[in-house]
Amino acid sequence: MIEVRSSRSRFRFVIPEEWKRASYWRETGAAYLYLLPALVILSVFVFYPFFSAFRLSAFKWNVVRPPGTFIGWGNYNYIFHDKYFWRALWHTFYYVGINVPVTLFLALLVANLLNKGLRFLTFARTSYFLAYITPLVAVSMVWRWLYNWQYGLLNYFLGFFGIDLINWLGDKRFALPAVIIMSIWRYVGYEAIILLAGLQSIDKMYYEAARIDGASGLQVWRKVTVPLLTPQIFFVFVISLIGSFKVFTEIYVLFSGTPGPLKSAETLVFYIMRQGFFGTNHLGRAAAASVVLFGIIFIFTLFQLQITQKRVHYQ
Amino acid sequence: MKSWKIGVLGLVVVLLFGLLAVADDPVTITFWHAMSSRHQPNLQKLIDDFMVEYPNITVEAIYQGGYGDLQQKINAAVVAGNVPAIAQVYENWVTPIVEVLYPIGPAMTDEEKADIIDGLVGSNTYNGILYTVPFNKSIMVFYYRKDLVPTPPVTWEEYLQMAKDLTADTNDDGTIDQFGTGFRPAANPEQFLNFLDEAGGSILNEDWTEVTINNEAGLQAMEYAVSLAPYSLVTSSYMSDAFQANQVCMFIDTSAGYYYNNQAAETAGFEMGVVRVPMGPVNQRSMIQGTNLAVFDINQTQAQKDAAVLLARFLLRAENTVFWAEKGGYQPVTKSAYVTEEWESWVATHEYQQAMSAQMLDGFAQILHPNYGDIRYVIATMFEEAMLGEATPKEALDNGAAEIEALLE
Repeated sequence: MIEVRSSRSRFRFVIPEEWKRASYWRETGAAYLYLLPALVILSVFVFYPFFSAFRLSAFKWNVVRPPGTFIGWGNYNYIFHDKYFWRALWHTFYYVGINVPVTLFLALLVANLLNKGLRFLTFARTSYFLAYITPLVAVSMVWRWLYNWQYGLLNYFLGFFGIDLINWLGDKRFALPAVIIMSIWRYVGYEAIILLAGLQSIDKMYYEAARIDGASGLQVWRKVTVPLLTPQIFFVFVISLIGSFKVFTEIYVLFSGTPGPLKSAETLVFYIMRQGFFGTNHLGRAAAASVVLFGIIFIFTLFQLQITQKRVHYQ
Repeated sequence: MKSWKIGVLGLVVVLLFGLLAVADDPVTITFWHAMSSRHQPNLQKLIDDFMVEYPNITVEAIYQGGYGDLQQKINAAVVAGNVPAIAQVYENWVTPIVEVLYPIGPAMTDEEKADIIDGLVGSNTYNGILYTVPFNKSIMVFYYRKDLVPTPPVTWEEYLQMAKDLTADTNDDGTIDQFGTGFRPAANPEQFLNFLDEAGGSILNEDWTEVTINNEAGLQAMEYAVSLAPYSLVTSSYMSDAFQANQVCMFIDTSAGYYYNNQAAETAGFEMGVVRVPMGPVNQRSMIQGTNLAVFDINQTQAQKDAAVLLARFLLRAENTVFWAEKGGYQPVTKSAYVTEEWESWVATHEYQQAMSAQMLDGFAQILHPNYGDIRYVIATMFEEAMLGEATPKEALDNGAAEIEALLE
């Protein structure tokens, strides 16, 4: 370790003892050698593109002379004055704000039911997980038919409750809710399986102790299950929050490559794709919007870490 | 003295062998395309024929996914300097990369150049030079259900009237389930551009200095489109979906969609007809769609560029463009192709082709403005807003025109 001592000179480096040993360098070198393949791949496909996006956001992209002309904050200036950017941002928050908590709540419910020891536990687990492992594009294609205005199964069932035909994919009011419903259906199973694993790893002794103390079912749930499940809840929450901010494929397939009627389901990632790749090469603007999205996710994640660190309990 | 002679002799021998080697040097070129599995055997057949004729050239045709994927890969390839010899391209992909292309036109005979359909010359000409050549071209035509539409509409008025008559609530549940027609404004703004051209309008003036889309002709076109809106299924999906589900009776779509639309009709159990688009106030034209071929100039040897140009010219030959059209559902791209015996007998036995051919020879192409990608997006937005009643035709056009104006600098 490098120590900075302030006693005499303010920056005096003290060479750590272990640095003097050749074996230390051999071991460290070997460790880095093992890490090298992963580092190289990550550098090429993750780190470089990541930093490159920041640089790109300051350029007006030119495919023949990349990266093009330096325009400083020009791209940010453009997107912050673009009403579709703000709409996309609003749609994204709307999607995240409903999708994440509802999915988590339902997943908790499902995980608990599964944990009660259903007779067909394996079957139920598999079928819940099936939604998640089926390719997203295939799932979206199926949902496109489920959502069909005239012939969709969903409207057919809603008809039993006297609800008029809803033009799920053609009405700007229902486009984003349609995406949310599909996402919830898809991810409940995945989140439930993780939570179920958490539930099953909670030691029975806590429950026994609680029961001896005469705790009611609800009390056991609130004081034992939830606190000890927080690592899994926290994990699922972070993963689904980050994933939800990046929603794109569902929309692209459900609305045949368009962002829904009157762009009513255009999320931030869709906006990024549209600027950069759908017939217009505004890679600079796309990069600027990506940086904004990164900033949002980054802030949320920091915030979450701060809050939840205090509330996550490990056994 | 002797060694000097031997030296010269040696040099001559080397040069001769060198020349010989150049003449017979095998060349390999790559051809990037977006032709899905249905088209690939036909494309491969054409390429095989080409390789028989030019045995020293090997063509590797590589499927790159859909058109969107192809464009992204081409752009990435240009940035990386690792381009294919030849690729399928849309007009608006070419404008940003024209300087890395190798013009095909200068290597063609005047006869070959003059043979390209008039409507396709302009859209392949950049800076006065024929850079690219048309390849898989289609044209927007009018599809309809023969059982419900005994005589298809010929004029805008008839189209509107029929759309109105056919729109119905067939199961009496209070909502319309059969629409006279249908539109995909966000996905297919070309449906509006047809009306615009038929009304004598245009997006921009001749020299691209002024936006003309919201002039009188533009307004007439948009008002007409909006008059159809109550009788239209407005969606983003392909029309064949709604066609198969008995939700639309007639619609305007590209001729390349024939296969899918016809399949939808067969599945649903009715017969489909194809005619020209209904006649507008000024003309009966419609928009040409589909890609062209471009040869790349960077990081390719002259031999590769020459070979790629040869392939492009080969595909333009009457017999080849006819083969490609018959098998793939595209339209021949040269005039001579339309008067070949083969094509004439094909048209005679395939009723729908008559309308497509007539429409194609009269088609108009997209403008080559460098910002066309953005302009098209603005048009899609205004078309959708007007069709869904979010804005009046005039508001939609004026808003869009202002946005296009900003794209002209």
